[in-house]
Amino acid sequence: MKLKGTPLTAVLLLLAAFAVAALAGLNFKAMWAEDDFVPAQGFEKKMLSAWFEGLAGTPADTPVYIQKGTEPGGVVLILGGTHPTEPASMVTATLFLERAQVTKGSLIVIPQANLLGFTHNSPQEAHPQSISFTTADGGKRTFRFGSRLTNTIYEWPSPDIYIHPASGQQLPGKERGNLNRCYPGVPDGSITEQVAYALTELVRRERVDLAFDLHEASPEYPVVNAIVAHERSMELAAMTTMDLEAAGIMMRLEPSPKNLRGLTHREWGNFTETMPVLMETGNPVQGRLRGRTDERLALTGADKAYVKAAALGRLYIPYEGDQKIEYRVGRHATAIMSFLLNLDLLNEERGVLLENIPTFEELQENGVGAYLAPLKL
Amino acid sequence: MEWFWPEGFYTIVMVGSFVLGAFALKLPIAIALSGAAVVGALAGGEWFPLRHFVEGMFGYLDTILIIASAMIFMKSVQKTGLLESLAAWVIRRFRRKPLLLSVGLIFIIMAPGMITGSSTAAVLTTGALVAPVLIKLGVPAVKTAAAIAMGAIYGMIAPPINIPAMIIGGGIDMPYVGFALPLLVCTIPLAIFSALLLVYPSLKSGAGDEDELENELRRMEETPLSARLLLPVVLLAVLMTGEQLLPSVWPALGMPVNFLLASFSGLITGRRFNFLDASTEALNEAIPVLGILMGVGMFIQIMTLIGVQGFLVVSVLALPAWLMYLGMATSIPLFGAVSAFGAASVLGVPFLLALLGRNEIMVGSALSLLAGLGDLMPPTALAGIFAAQVVGEENYFKVLRYCLIPALVTALWAVFVILNANTIMGFLP
Repeated sequence: MKLKGTPLTAVLLLLAAFAVAALAGLNFKAMWAEDDFVPAQGFEKKMLSAWFEGLAGTPADTPVYIQKGTEPGGVVLILGGTHPTEPASMVTATLFLERAQVTKGSLIVIPQANLLGFTHNSPQEAHPQSISFTTADGGKRTFRFGSRLTNTIYEWPSPDIYIHPASGQQLPGKERGNLNRCYPGVPDGSITEQVAYALTELVRRERVDLAFDLHEASPEYPVVNAIVAHERSMELAAMTTMDLEAAGIMMRLEPSPKNLRGLTHREWGNFTETMPVLMETGNPVQGRLRGRTDERLALTGADKAYVKAAALGRLYIPYEGDQKIEYRVGRHATAIMSFLLNLDLLNEERGVLLENIPTFEELQENGVGAYLAPLKL
Repeated sequence: MEWFWPEGFYTIVMVGSFVLGAFALKLPIAIALSGAAVVGALAGGEWFPLRHFVEGMFGYLDTILIIASAMIFMKSVQKTGLLESLAAWVIRRFRRKPLLLSVGLIFIIMAPGMITGSSTAAVLTTGALVAPVLIKLGVPAVKTAAAIAMGAIYGMIAPPINIPAMIIGGGIDMPYVGFALPLLVCTIPLAIFSALLLVYPSLKSGAGDEDELENELRRMEETPLSARLLLPVVLLAVLMTGEQLLPSVWPALGMPVNFLLASFSGLITGRRFNFLDASTEALNEAIPVLGILMGVGMFIQIMTLIGVQGFLVVSVLALPAWLMYLGMATSIPLFGAVSAFGAASVLGVPFLLALLGRNEIMVGSALSLLAGLGDLMPPTALAGIFAAQVVGEENYFKVLRYCLIPALVTALWAVFVILNANTIMGFLP
């Protein structure tokens, strides 16, 4: 078909293009609205820029919540939202933020580590823009879903190749926007490298004893339903893995590879005194084998493509039709509580104890929403 | 049937709509792809998801900018007289050594792809420089384009920079370390084979009428080759390598800016030309491909949204073991019709996971080679379509015909490397 253009068709096309840009722009702009969090009593809110001034006034400056217990002890960090496409990470951190009552030591919670990752979705991934939970009072809590990478507006243009400054490791250029490839960070680097630097500074200056970086992985990825531990964290991680297995929660234990650079479990171990631990649950919505991609998949993990892949023996998790967020959050939360008990056992002086976190069984029975604080209207 | 419905049906609807639009209604490919995405969204019950259409297109923003700026660069060096002058210089010195010339020129075509990881960059830089040399020496234009396309793809896969290998490795947290020799094993034999198949026979038989060639060479040398005339190419080489070699001090300008700076430098060398006219001409030629990329972006986003992507990937993985190698040798290049990088991510990673136990670096390298072939696959066919443009051939399918044998050998070589990954790795130092 020969399409013949005239000045009128040109004007009409331009108007149509403006209309599409305006409507899509409004939709994208809505992703910048901040999520609501309701910290439990005792949490003090700071901003990440308190540990690195360079972030002050930038949209990457993310809230940091600190609660100190009555009894002296150590310091524990729960980092959620490094990759916004791994929602159990942010939701678990939120669960601790909205429920934890610290009795010993200090707890630091960061629910959205890469705040700029929550402001957009990755092209061609077709991910949902938000996920919602029903709270105990029948209300609704909605959180943005986001992208694995920092918003392109702040990381553009990407270099052709991202060369990790501390090691010289080469990665595709877009990985400069992947917070968990940028550690230990660079104070005058890209915005993502600056966030990594600020987080490393927080771990170092607050003398964090045990640092959790919560993640999710595709069910077809070998390091899933797993704990990845630095050499310094290995004893504690081994004790926790055994406890979890005794409780019926199967967990792989993987040593942090020494030649895979830029990740928390390697760089926080190398550049600070903390015991870093990275944890992964199985999340179909980020997998390459996934079928229809929507909020339902993010929350239930139910996908017939994964059922078939499981039957073919292609998965590294037991998959029986779903991977509910209650299950994934339950794994993370139970593992954290087990780590805390073992930390107290190994080093009582630096222990951190807390209460009011639902058990694995309670989360399965009542759902995550039941344990999130209702929003006050 | 339970597996097929409804995603298999959606697949047929989307592909069918595209075929209907492109071939029956003869719509431009970009419009046919966009239309198929809209039909797919409607069939999948998503109505008219404007956000998804626009978001999908953004996946190619960087590629579009690189292509647009590289086209401007190519036009600039053409207008200054550099292309013809350099071609004449090469012909005078090497035309009596056809073997050296054919293999040497393929490696020259590969060079920018090796440094940038982009086949488009190779086609539109050294590919454009080499094209007039080969044509003047008697290589048919379509064969020249095929050689440039294949050389550019091998360049994109050869070390030090191979983005599909990085993407595939990243999928299993395998660092991009130790890939240099495996990638050379994957590419160098094929580059030599392609040179001998596509270029050497014509060079050996000579250009024919020596007087006519001499006259033509004199015309081509009207703008004498000088260091100043070479400035855009030298500047581009410096800008491209600087970022890789001195990352701590070199600003990450990105390829589009590199191309534009090199193009601007053309204004102070050789023949004078109107930069605005050259840019307009370049963009006019590039717009159909840029439109296709945007259409593909919409198409792939809707495929993912309504579950077609998962249906296709798991269907390929479900093939019996003996068919899986055939499946990967065909599905990865075919998916490259969408994007070579997309094929590496969507299919390369699951295949690497399915092949765990064989040497992962060697397997990842061979899978990246298959992904690279995607740059030949219409409708995007970035390497192929631009190679056709570089030689002035309007029908890309004529070029693709000459790429078939090298592409087939490439796919067979990749499968051979995968099957013998551990043995080959054992031979490498």
